[in-house]
Amino acid sequence: MDANLNELLAALPDEPAESAAEFSQAELQRIFADLARRPAPLSSLHRLWTLGELSTQVALATLALWMRRWFADAEAQKRRAMETNLRLALKIFHRLGYLRGAMTKLGQAAGNFPQILPAQIADTLDRLHFEAPPMHFSLVREVLAAELGAEPEDLFQSFEKEAFAAASIGQVHRAMLKSGERVAVKIQYPAIARTIDADFRNLNALLFPLRLGKDWDSLKAQCEEIHRMLKQEVDYEREAESLREARALFADDDGFVVPAVHPRYSTKRVLTMDFVSGLHLPAFLATHPSQELRNRFGEKLFLVWHRLHAARMNYGDPQSGNYLFMQDGRLGLLDFGCVQHFTDEEFGLLRLAYRLDEGGTEAVRELLRRACYATDADLANQEYVGLIEESIHWNLEPIRHQGPFDYGDAEYFKHGVDIFARIVKKRYSRSHPMFVYFDRSQMALKALLFRLGAQVDVKALAIRNWWGPAGSGPTVPAE
Amino acid sequence: MRITAEAKTATRQRILTVAGRLFQKQGWENATTRDIAEAAGIANGTLFNYFKSKEAIAAALIEDATAGAMTEFSRRRAGQESLEEDLFALIWTGLKSVREFRPFLAPAAEAIFSPLAQPAREGVGDRLRILHLEAAERIMAEHGVARPLPPVVLQLYWTLYLGVFAFWAADESPHQEDTLALLDRSLKLFAAAGISPALEEGENHGRKSE
Repeated sequence: MDANLNELLAALPDEPAESAAEFSQAELQRIFADLARRPAPLSSLHRLWTLGELSTQVALATLALWMRRWFADAEAQKRRAMETNLRLALKIFHRLGYLRGAMTKLGQAAGNFPQILPAQIADTLDRLHFEAPPMHFSLVREVLAAELGAEPEDLFQSFEKEAFAAASIGQVHRAMLKSGERVAVKIQYPAIARTIDADFRNLNALLFPLRLGKDWDSLKAQCEEIHRMLKQEVDYEREAESLREARALFADDDGFVVPAVHPRYSTKRVLTMDFVSGLHLPAFLATHPSQELRNRFGEKLFLVWHRLHAARMNYGDPQSGNYLFMQDGRLGLLDFGCVQHFTDEEFGLLRLAYRLDEGGTEAVRELLRRACYATDADLANQEYVGLIEESIHWNLEPIRHQGPFDYGDAEYFKHGVDIFARIVKKRYSRSHPMFVYFDRSQMALKALLFRLGAQVDVKALAIRNWWGPAGSGPTVPAE
Repeated sequence: MRITAEAKTATRQRILTVAGRLFQKQGWENATTRDIAEAAGIANGTLFNYFKSKEAIAAALIEDATAGAMTEFSRRRAGQESLEEDLFALIWTGLKSVREFRPFLAPAAEAIFSPLAQPAREGVGDRLRILHLEAAERIMAEHGVARPLPPVVLQLYWTLYLGVFAFWAADESPHQEDTLALLDRSLKLFAAAGISPALEEGENHGRKSE
């Protein structure tokens, strides 16, 4: 989870359990806490536990072999039914074996969206980090052979056995094509994609106690959005498509690099792209870059955000690891698995949000009605409207500012975190599902600019890039 | 009439080839030794000079296929692999080598390997079990696990292997990716939980697992 969200969650006070619903939430928290136990057997107790789990797995699987005998004389039909049940049981046990890993993926996702789940659950989820276990080369070889029809030794001129980066559900290897091009090969851990639907069924069951809450419909829609986006994230063909769309927006010579996809070496589970060389943010900062260089990269980060919006896309993954700070001053954009593609309705909401600066209170109310499903009673709640207005003001501050805005200003950033924390604490979380990822990416961009310590003249940038020379138009992305 | 060794080998091979075909075509339960003998062009009694039972034929089919797998495993081994990677490669290469028999492997394996069936089957699967366990034990020894392995570790490993085998035989996921993940995760647990005490015992006996 991003540092800013950690900070945010740490700032949240504990909420006392007050009702049966609260009790259910506590129970939910306990379940997630159980799931958070790491499999690494560090102590003898853990070792015993994993041993127990292992024994259960193997015993169940072996049972399958034996059980056929018990029914050997049964009629064929009954036997088939039994075998079906047996297969189902095996699948279930198999899923259970997976559950901790797959649920932590969910945990991480939900933990990244504290507006959805009650704070103490989000806090528990924060401790969960999904990591598909690292794959050794023998497993990588099998995945590549299954996906690409040949083994890496035959497919590539060279292929590094050790991964050089971890992807959230797999890992990335350096390789060289037979044509001599250097590529990065992203490989997904087997069977992850197919577990997502089952995991969401489990999550829905776990969330069932919350169904009586007034925000249930919104919560459900937001969970469905996460489900949809996770499914998209594990589909590397979809990611390749997003990469191609983004590449059309950024030319190498205007300061951005979006790696090209090599379709011959790509499938739903394997994605082969040009290898892009550069530094991730921490390594870049360690080189003590000049303020001027930070500012230039800050501008680029800002331009990425807007150029994608204009193309009805949003870079939904907040990880700073998805950006590469290249030695020649260009910005590399790496991971397009988590990209929102706005529908007409969503794009309309986005334009509405962009118009807030000129629309005054009425524009805020319209946005609240359409994007947050605010009722008249909600709009009469001054605390609610006031908090949202404060949040909007915070968002618009850089563009209202004359001259370069200092994103490295800790007070500004902390204020945003404070607003976010208050919104979460008050549970003003009802919103159109598109904002699940949109809000996260907006916060992440601010966090990135804060860490970069960039000073960006947002207004001048807007005039230069989409307002036009008159400089009087709204900051609406062009259609 | 004397039968040459070459002729014996050829007949044995013919029996195995037609048996493999019949098991796939008619199913494990329906293909009888009589069918196999007939298809191989030999008398039913002659077949029993080569194989004592249908289970013995299936065991020989698996054994022949996995013999090639051992060579393949050794050829690919770079020497830098961790214990779990070595065991993964050993098991998966073995499974791949019998992939063509997958349609009948689940019932055949149940008949060959089931501990409950062993007394009646005259230890048909013993040779396969011993061959595999010897290979696994050799690998573990190379990673610093003292030999002989404690019986409980061997039993645990063999049970795990059978579990994976059974799962794989019925795995309908694309490219059996569910088994790939199950095998990988199971071996991680095995290497961490099952083998650790043995590793500690054998700490001073050669290379230790990563």
